[in-house]
Amino acid sequence: MAQSSSASDLSPWTALLLLAPLTAVMLLILIYPLGLTVWTSLYNGRFSFDAYVELASSTLFLRVLRNTFEIAIGGTLVSLLFGYPVALHLAAQPPRKRTAYLIMVMLPFWTSILVKSFALVAVFGNQGLINQFLGFVSGGTLNVPMMFNRVGVILGMINFLLPFMILSILGSLLALDRRLILAAETMGAGPLRIFWKITLPLSLPGVLAGVLINVTLSIGMYITPALLGGRQDMMVANLVDFYTRQTLDWTAASATAVALLILSGLLVALLGKVRGSAGLAGAGA
Amino acid sequence: MNELFGSSRVARGLVSSMAWLCYIFLVVPSLIVIPISFGNPGQIEFPPRQFSLELYRQFFTDAAWWGSTVQSLIVACLTTLATLVLAVPAAYALARSRLPGRGGLQGLFMMPMLVPVIVLGLGLYLQYSNWGLLDTTAGLVLAHVMLTTPYIMVSVMSGLQHSDVALETVASIMGASRLRIFFRVVLPQLKISIAVGALFAFLMSLDEVVVAYFLTGTDTMTLPVKMYSSIRWELTPVLAAVSTLLTVLSLMIALGIIAMQGKTEASK
Amino acid sequence: MTASSTPAMVELQGVAKRYGEVNALHRVDLSIAKGEFVTLLGPSGSGKTTLLNLIAGMITPSSGRIVIDGRDATTLPTNRRGLGMVFQNYALMPHMTVFENIAFPLEVRRLSKAEIKRKVGEALELIQLGHVANRKPRELSGGQQQRISLARCIVYNPALILMDEPLGALDKKLREQMQLEIKRLHAELGITMLYVTHDQDEALTMSDRIVLMNGGRIEQQGTPDTLYFRPETVFSAEFIGSSNLIPGTVEIGADGAYALNTALGRFAAPAPERAIKAGERAVLLVRPENMALADAATPASVAGHIEDSILLGGVVRHFVRCADGSSLIIQELNQPGRSGAHRGEAVRAAWQPQHGRLLPPAPAG
Ligand SMILES: Nc1ncnc2c1ncn2[C@@H]1O[C@H](COP(=O)(O)OP(=O)(O)O)[C@@H](O)[C@H]1O
Ligand SMILES: [Mg+2]
Repeated sequence: MAQSSSASDLSPWTALLLLAPLTAVMLLILIYPLGLTVWTSLYNGRFSFDAYVELASSTLFLRVLRNTFEIAIGGTLVSLLFGYPVALHLAAQPPRKRTAYLIMVMLPFWTSILVKSFALVAVFGNQGLINQFLGFVSGGTLNVPMMFNRVGVILGMINFLLPFMILSILGSLLALDRRLILAAETMGAGPLRIFWKITLPLSLPGVLAGVLINVTLSIGMYITPALLGGRQDMMVANLVDFYTRQTLDWTAASATAVALLILSGLLVALLGKVRGSAGLAGAGA
Repeated sequence: MNELFGSSRVARGLVSSMAWLCYIFLVVPSLIVIPISFGNPGQIEFPPRQFSLELYRQFFTDAAWWGSTVQSLIVACLTTLATLVLAVPAAYALARSRLPGRGGLQGLFMMPMLVPVIVLGLGLYLQYSNWGLLDTTAGLVLAHVMLTTPYIMVSVMSGLQHSDVALETVASIMGASRLRIFFRVVLPQLKISIAVGALFAFLMSLDEVVVAYFLTGTDTMTLPVKMYSSIRWELTPVLAAVSTLLTVLSLMIALGIIAMQGKTEASK
Repeated sequence: MTASSTPAMVELQGVAKRYGEVNALHRVDLSIAKGEFVTLLGPSGSGKTTLLNLIAGMITPSSGRIVIDGRDATTLPTNRRGLGMVFQNYALMPHMTVFENIAFPLEVRRLSKAEIKRKVGEALELIQLGHVANRKPRELSGGQQQRISLARCIVYNPALILMDEPLGALDKKLREQMQLEIKRLHAELGITMLYVTHDQDEALTMSDRIVLMNGGRIEQQGTPDTLYFRPETVFSAEFIGSSNLIPGTVEIGADGAYALNTALGRFAAPAPERAIKAGERAVLLVRPENMALADAATPASVAGHIEDSILLGGVVRHFVRCADGSSLIIQELNQPGRSGAHRGEAVRAAWQPQHGRLLPPAPAG
């Protein structure tokens, strides 16, 4: 009686009834397989951390881990380097024009990663459009390998990462109070000083969030390194697949997956600290 | 207007040329497949030097391509339906009850968005190989329901937040039962949020490749899996036709979503 | 005052509502007779909505009993109380046409298609909006929407219609029209109505009985006349109509005649309804329209000078500053050729002692 309730509130039993089916599915299809993965990494006839010890001393795993960090951080930096000017450009547009440009920015977000991978091969591959053009101009002597190597992975990666970076930075640029700039100008500050002293520092939260989102998204990449990288560009996700299908070592595969899960969990937590946990759509595609 | 990056010509020129480079880089890969698909069937070529529908003929007559397309559409439809049936009532219960532990359940429903798909792919692979669900449509649909749940949740929860609780109250005062209120008052208000969520879930399932790659075999191979192995092993020009069809479908769905979201904003 | 001859439609027995530390409603007893038009009047936050929502079942009381139509409804679900409710923001279903909106409660009651059609038609006729049956609510004006929401209530003939500031969103002119329309519907249909407002004029215009709320309690209840002419507290006096309040100490003469000793003089007054002892503090209430400008000293009058005079159409208001710095309001009828009082002019504010009313002093704070 003392507890307040309202006519628009469901009774606890009704609520439970409505929540039960989805909860059951999520426990069965999400929590159970995650638990099974952890279990498989720890139990192989008996309980042990052997799989993790082996991983830590495996040159393959360490190399793949280094690749993963190099590619994720490299891709993020390139994405920041290009994303920031795009965000500046968008922020400087009148709203209608900005919407039009934003459609272009969001386009890759809607199209299949496979379509984009295929197209990138068709454009940047050895027989791709750019090399066809270079060969034509140079009379057949010039061919720049841009696919199936590190460059290819980074190209594919930033095509996927850029929209997230741009939107994140744009958010903080649009929130920036333009009167600050006006004030600085009236005090005689030049454009460079305004950028360094006002625009850049005030957009740093957006930059930080964008960087974290990019690293989080790229750390679990699977399709892009598999299709656009070479043998040397294997990332952690590809290693999971490699252990699962090539060597049939499910214990190692599980341990690798758990390592990735922890890594990405830490990044998500960090990102959650920086801003709300929303906006992480499609983590690890 | 105040310039964020000053009014120097050099700075502006630099910024806008870098921006345009990015716009092109972002747009071209999504659209270039379209002209290529109508070109030379023997070789990937741009600009195409001839017009031909040969690649489309190849696509529609090759059972492997066509079959995986149909399979993908079936999986996406079933996934969307099942996710709606499970997630809409759950979202309603979360929004309109004061159960302790609601936050935890909401976290559970949003979790698939935050876990790297490869981890889910492996976990489901281990689970399904024990349970005999590998290479079954039901197994894949179940996995996709899990993956698409957060997206429908987000859409429906925000719809519920914007819907008017007073209408449910007034219906209740007029004597309507909980069930009637849900179907006659709540659902009609959520129409657009549900449609947006459903389209999003459909597209996600249609495009999903990593989990499908782990869980499907020859019997249940979906279009993205077929595309993945084709890009990996043969790089056939038919891919251009497939990609074009997929892109057109994706963009139509995207337009639908954007148009409907615009409609909800306009009605406020 | 509670019309105890007719059976009660609603009866609240010691009903209270707490939200944590906040006492939204202290123990309230209230009875509403069948067919009565009762208004809950009070300032914002005084617990009107809480009281209404308790009757509707949208919230459950912390203690007490609610009886509706002879049935204990304290824990009855909202949808089984057989009530109707009109909200300030109309609460019409945006996805339904006007017809469908009004038909909804009839559908709930499983009436036949033909009967629904007939009843909805009648209801629309009653509010003279038959021509908008096929429109969506958002295509109508605010006043029309509120009439539709009234029709939606009336159509299923609920035992009691609750209205929470239903006219709050409308402009003054429309509000006055709607007040008359609601009164007319009440008279024609005889449905019991419980109406919430913070507007005293609205309450005075519409009600059979006003229940004045203050800080989660019932301050006073009675007919509009009673509340206006016989307020029992300073709060009632100040909330309804405007008042001149002169504080002082009570004196009771040998003959039992009451008088109040104030900073402005000693004034005779009728005996109070609730006994006040000699020597106690009290407040003398005189309504502005019971005061007049006088030239000479009369038994009850106060000297001062006119600070301002404002013309309100049919009446004039004079603000008189007294010697002790307090100020009085005098309201007189405006007549053609009335000799205007001038700012700064020395005057006397006079009244008939029998128009004064002794009230207990306002509680501190
Ligand atoms: N859900 C609630 N939680 C806490 N306090 C509330 C709630 N609803 C109302 N109150 C408090 O109860 C008191 C009475 O509110 P209400 O009945 O809405 O007043 P009125 O309708 O007369 O303006 C107010 O002090 C208000 O702050
Ligand atoms: Mg209120």
